[in-house]
Amino acid sequence: MPADRALRNPRDVSAMNYTFHWHQALEALPAMLAGALVTVETALLSMLIGIACGIGLALAHNSGNRLARGFATTWVETARNTPALFQIYMTYFGLGSLGIFVDSYPALLIGISFNNAGYLAETFRGGLRAVPPTQMRAARSLGMSAPQAFRLIVLPQLLRTVFHPLTNQMVWAILMTSLGVVVGLNSDLTGVTQELNVRTFRTFEFFAMAAIIYYLITKFVTLASRLVAARLFRY
Amino acid sequence: MRFNVLAAAAGTACLLLSPLALADKLDDIIASGKLRCAVVLDFPPMGSRDEKNEPIGFDVDTCNDLAKALGVKAEIVETPFPDRIPALVSGRADVGVASTSDTLQRAKTIGFSIPYFAFKNVVLTKKGTNITNYASLKGHKTGSVTGTYEAIALEKDVKKWNDPKGSFRAYQTQADVFLALSQGQIEATVVTSTVAAATVKAGKYKDLVIGGDAPYDIDYVSLIALRQEYGLINYLNLFVNQQVRTGRAQELNTKWVGGALPELTIKGVYY
Repeated sequence: MPADRALRNPRDVSAMNYTFHWHQALEALPAMLAGALVTVETALLSMLIGIACGIGLALAHNSGNRLARGFATTWVETARNTPALFQIYMTYFGLGSLGIFVDSYPALLIGISFNNAGYLAETFRGGLRAVPPTQMRAARSLGMSAPQAFRLIVLPQLLRTVFHPLTNQMVWAILMTSLGVVVGLNSDLTGVTQELNVRTFRTFEFFAMAAIIYYLITKFVTLASRLVAARLFRY
Repeated sequence: MRFNVLAAAAGTACLLLSPLALADKLDDIIASGKLRCAVVLDFPPMGSRDEKNEPIGFDVDTCNDLAKALGVKAEIVETPFPDRIPALVSGRADVGVASTSDTLQRAKTIGFSIPYFAFKNVVLTKKGTNITNYASLKGHKTGSVTGTYEAIALEKDVKKWNDPKGSFRAYQTQADVFLALSQGQIEATVVTSTVAAATVKAGKYKDLVIGGDAPYDIDYVSLIALRQEYGLINYLNLFVNQQVRTGRAQELNTKWVGGALPELTIKGVYY
């Protein structure tokens, strides 16, 4: 775009031939906030599933069983070394070609949870190594059973170590939900935004608003986790 | 003395530059010798790729004709449906020859030429479903390309039927819709009749069948340009008129779609 074009039309403030219509975008705000709720819900659910699977994978990796170890390694390697987009797309269209039908929302949830579990397994494995083995031995020598010692002594220390990486993964999960659009999801924040965009062609307003909403959500998560951490890990 | 030289130089520069300051998009296109058209290439027979991966179709030929009329070189910019307008607004393309339905909602943002084509919509489904007409879509899993004319109409009806077993999914590209349909993720879609016929004929997706007409208004589609580029839009209007008047539009229709060119005027009202 030559610079002289701005002279011709004084409303071309952005050098992009675009005048912002914020009114129309603001009217769609409730729909976008409803989408944001779906986004947060999905991210939370995927984190819960991811944490459960991640702990399982970390334990499987540390166990002596070669089969369990192989399974965990395959999962972690696939989840961490392929794009999340690919994982979600394969859950939907890949399984679909085998005749297994997963609907859009579950496909997104499975995809992100799979990805979360892979990353979190490594986080937990690191966390487990950070708890000295003497802690376990000391607990056992005080008469605790192995599960008891794990639950009461190792796990609390483990959670303290992995708390901040968990927050990170939560932020990542929130942002990953935006990939649902590739498998036909139109109820999350990105899905709603994209639909509003193609209906009205007010691309820049809607995407700018979506970006702000994503930013606020993730900022809220990091701030909240900092507060929780300050309360939980005071000493 | 030096001041005079400077003033003279500045004056000359102003004279040379002043016509540029009035240049509009039409001038830019002619001056650059290049017309960049946003075309959707997963929408046969309007736009697709041949076995050599070259863009082909009604829209591609229309873009080439437009470039020829302007005396410039055509350049096809592939854009999926949702990206047509961002491509224009961000300056990646000059015009959209992309089967864009001329809704009033969109006209608030983008400029439309007079219609250059019109679509009827049909139900596309898979062999083995009991879908035989539009009404029998009730209670089935459906989907379409997000934000298109037929997607908006279909989603509205699915919501109206309010059948717990029925659903509507919005995909990002036409190819994803056909993939989902052929796999069975969805049981039916509504798509323009020309695309449905071309897709069934091509046989790339197995077992697809047309399941009757969709009772929507005729879907008129226009060329698009930036809303404020009146010069360009005027040119596009005349171009569309000439395409029909000279029989070239019918020629392209015979080549890509078959049959008579759809009626592009509406009885009882001026455009």
